[in-house]
Amino acid sequence: MTCVEAERLLDSFVDAELPGPMLLEVARHAGSCPTCDRAVREMTALRGSLEQMVHAELEGLDLSGVWPAVEQRIGRSARRGAWRRLPRQLPMWGAAVAAVAAGALLWFRTPPPEPVRVTHVRPNQAVIERLVSSGGARVGIMKDRKYGTTLIMVSAPGEDAGQ
Amino acid sequence: MIRRAARTVPAGLAVIVFLAMAATAQALSVEVTTVQASPEGPSDVQLLQFRPRLRRLVGYRAFRVIHEESRPCVWRNPEAFVIPGGRLLHVLPKGMREEAVVMQVQLQEGPRSLVDTDVRLQNRGVMLFGVDPERGTANGVIIIMLKAEE
Repeated sequence: MTCVEAERLLDSFVDAELPGPMLLEVARHAGSCPTCDRAVREMTALRGSLEQMVHAELEGLDLSGVWPAVEQRIGRSARRGAWRRLPRQLPMWGAAVAAVAAGALLWFRTPPPEPVRVTHVRPNQAVIERLVSSGGARVGIMKDRKYGTTLIMVSAPGEDAGQ
Repeated sequence: MIRRAARTVPAGLAVIVFLAMAATAQALSVEVTTVQASPEGPSDVQLLQFRPRLRRLVGYRAFRVIHEESRPCVWRNPEAFVIPGGRLLHVLPKGMREEAVVMQVQLQEGPRSLVDTDVRLQNRGVMLFGVDPERGTANGVIIIMLKAEE
């Protein structure tokens, strides 16, 4: 196997998507070729660092301060009105505490975490910025989910239909 | 002596700048491979790695290379690649953006422009153009694989 052949298969090799014998062949080549070996290591490292980045983003979200803040606010409101508590006013105070709690809950509510954007660029990613078809041709765009390969399919009618 | 040096230094610099510009201008390689997709039959070994995704995208089982061409390109300079069946693929590389090659690609059949698009293709990535002649599925389709590498 040559370096050019191996290079074409490296992506699938790292994803372990090659059939067994070919997987073995690429591994053998990489074992004897420092350039391809380095390429495999770089691709593996890139994937690892992407995974780490996503995990770090998720672990970094701190929601621990929300509930203690709400509890503290509720407790303070309850203590302030304790000496006036009368059986007749219980429903009113209950409603007030509930309102304060709801207010505090809204006030201290942490903003929803921003969606973690994973900018994993696929090797065959293509962004179509403009597309024009003419001559009666019908155009469809398809994308392979696994590899991100884009296909622009053109159905070309005969010369007579196009004119 | 000093006067001669004053004349040669700018000339030398101009040559270096010119060489550097020439080196960066021809820094792109475009590869166009035309593949015949058919409902059945053998497939070429060189398409082995593409076969699963071609099958998923196009729906055919057999893929054979009928023409391939690779050539160095200059930024902002149009190139026309001949596609079997009287078609031409015009490629105009415009520049690099975020590790992707920005280019205008136009597929022409005779005087007609079938599709004209601006794409941003990942460097060393492959994108496909399929041409279905609408003569029934028995004849298969032509797949044009376009690869750009800075």
